[in-house]
Amino acid sequence: MQSEPDEGERPEKLIYRLAAKLRHQALLDSLLIFSPPVGAAIYIIAVLFGAAWLGQIPMLVSAALVMVLGCFAVVLRYRPAAPSVSAAAQLLDRQAAAKDHFLTLATVKPADWPASFLSRLRRETSGFSHRVELKRDFPYRLKSSAYWSFGLSLLAAILISFLLPLTASVARPGVLQDRLRALGQEMALKPGLKKVGKDLLALAAKLDEPKIPLEEKQTQAQELKKEIEEQQKKEEQKDNRDLLGQAASALEGVEQQQAGGQERKDEQKGGGGIQSDVRQQGQGKSEQSQGGSGDSKGDSSAQLSTELQQGKTAQGNPKEPSSEKNQQPGDAKQDNQPDPSRSGKEQNKEQMGKTEGGSKDGAGKEKSSEEPPPQGVSPAERFYKGGEGKEGIKNARYVTVQLPEEIAAEGKGESRATKESKASRARNQVPVSNVPLPAHVPNAPSEKQQVPIEYRGMIR
Amino acid sequence: MGKGEVMEPEQFREIFKRLQTEVQKVIVGHDDLIRKVLIAFFAGGHVLLEGVPGLGKTLLVKSLSRALGMSFKRIQFTPDLMPSDIVGTEVLTDTNGRREFQFKQGPIFAHVVLADEINRATPKTQSAVLEAMEEKQVTVFGDSHILASPFIVLATQNPIELEGTYPLPEAQLDRFFFKLLVAPPAPAELREILKRTTGIESGDATKVLPDDDSGTVNEMKYLLRQVMIAPPIEDYVVRLVHATQAEAQNGGPVQRSVKQYIRFGSSPRGAQSIILGAKGNALAEGRVHVSYEDVEKVIFPALRHRLILNFQAEAENISADQVLGDVIKKVPRN
Repeated sequence: MQSEPDEGERPEKLIYRLAAKLRHQALLDSLLIFSPPVGAAIYIIAVLFGAAWLGQIPMLVSAALVMVLGCFAVVLRYRPAAPSVSAAAQLLDRQAAAKDHFLTLATVKPADWPASFLSRLRRETSGFSHRVELKRDFPYRLKSSAYWSFGLSLLAAILISFLLPLTASVARPGVLQDRLRALGQEMALKPGLKKVGKDLLALAAKLDEPKIPLEEKQTQAQELKKEIEEQQKKEEQKDNRDLLGQAASALEGVEQQQAGGQERKDEQKGGGGIQSDVRQQGQGKSEQSQGGSGDSKGDSSAQLSTELQQGKTAQGNPKEPSSEKNQQPGDAKQDNQPDPSRSGKEQNKEQMGKTEGGSKDGAGKEKSSEEPPPQGVSPAERFYKGGEGKEGIKNARYVTVQLPEEIAAEGKGESRATKESKASRARNQVPVSNVPLPAHVPNAPSEKQQVPIEYRGMIR
Repeated sequence: MGKGEVMEPEQFREIFKRLQTEVQKVIVGHDDLIRKVLIAFFAGGHVLLEGVPGLGKTLLVKSLSRALGMSFKRIQFTPDLMPSDIVGTEVLTDTNGRREFQFKQGPIFAHVVLADEINRATPKTQSAVLEAMEEKQVTVFGDSHILASPFIVLATQNPIELEGTYPLPEAQLDRFFFKLLVAPPAPAELREILKRTTGIESGDATKVLPDDDSGTVNEMKYLLRQVMIAPPIEDYVVRLVHATQAEAQNGGPVQRSVKQYIRFGSSPRGAQSIILGAKGNALAEGRVHVSYEDVEKVIFPALRHRLILNFQAEAENISADQVLGDVIKKVPRN
């Protein structure tokens, strides 16, 4: 429906109305294009703050900077996009096929031209005004750039939401500790939060300590967080509540970080492998010492390769030169078939010597055991004879093959007790034997020729 | 009608239309040519008509002067034509036994002057005419003589026969308001020409204005100058003219063709011609303001003789119209 313009409405008014409308549209366009990125940026800053990547002041500064930049961008885009009066008049001319009537009317100085011509021009232009309806002819249409801006900003916000927890584990730990310290110091000044402040400072100090196990740190952080949350519920003052909230979020970051560190360790353990049960026993109960004192994969693989190498040597590969550690006096046979002529004790010693050298760390710890090593030929560090060592399995001569699925099951968060029970079950299942294999009998059935027990698992 | 009183645009349009119709009675086709000649006349300019012989150039000018009711003189330019043959000279006369020098007016003293084949005369003679065109007066033996008003020179030149001709210098070309190309008639037009000229009856233009009614013509000229033009359209004209200047392209939309083919661009007279021509066109269409279309309609006749092409353009047979077409395409309206 074409609207009837007022009879008294001057065409100049129509031009100015259109110019104003187009300016509003340009402003709206600019806002729609730049608001989503600004919003996304502020959201990202808030997320980073929540994850303790940013401190309070950097967060406020960067949020303010983003907003200022957004405003600047809106103005920069709006200024050239906002149409002038003459541009609006030209649009009207085009719409009404008015042959520059609107343009002339909008731009000429009345004083420079005859009044009769001006009134004639105004009259003619009014005739063209009827052909134009601003609402119908100049509707607002959302620009595709606004859609793009919204979509990309949303995508960025979603990506950050998903990626940040993943990257939390690689967050600089120092930042978290600093934040905890800052919060602790701030809280220590407030009478009601003194205790929490001190706890936070203590936790920050603990987090800096590499010797303290991750679990312990995590547990302490969880406990403190719980405590803080309870106190936050009770707290009446808003400032204190805010402080407690910040502390809780920082502790959450700590938990995430510690969990990430734990996961990394588990990953390093994973992938299957052969771990000597003996060594575990020799090293004590600590889980960290299971893979040697070094945490890296490289260490464990090095250990594995050493074991394999030693195994080969023990099997009597003539091409493989034995390592220095394996060179025991009288070890010329290079065969793990025990000599039946020797006594069992001697054989044990020899076997221990052959399989020795699994881990240097393990060796160090064995030496520090209470009982002095037996005189004469020193026993292999990894193996104790009966009665030797603290908790070493007597005459242990087996390896535990830990399959990848078992490790995966461990990584899924089974409790230590479950793990230990499983391990003991596995230990029971693995045959433990120190009995010499029967001597080689010609024409004996093939099943009689047994593979040394300790290598069955490896072969499997 | 005094200077303060203005003729109504409708009156202008009516007279313009009648004049056009009268000339069209004699000249078959060339509607646009006739229209532009009339616009140049009311804008106070002179016209250079270029075309091969036999296209009705002389007839057009004759018919126009007849329709306007103005005095008409024709000067056939030849190499031996002297300036005095055009502007006139002092002759010794004997009046009642008293001998004295008396100024005898040359053919330039007419409202409508046809300078036929102007490029055949020597530069000296050409310059005598061109001085009269610009100053609207001639000076003979120290005495200045005002020319008739309105005054229009319609010069013709043949683009083919260049032997024994003296091409007009650039400075003199610049004094022509429009340069119009007279194209050969289309078959239908030719048929009509034959019908009109080879039968018993031959049409002739009738007078639209009374004899020597310079008052009406001057009013029309005055009205034309009052036509409004919007500043953005003036800016467009300025940009167009500026774009033709190869040496003044700093910051402007440099046209490759302009740099390649133009030695000198248009002078400010070119911009004046465009605006006056556009105003005339607007009035002829019954409007009191200039539109972009009016400007674009007169760009070619107003600028084509003001662009001085270089040797490369001549070698490649590039015309000024081709370069102008490029300029119009590249220069935005706003």
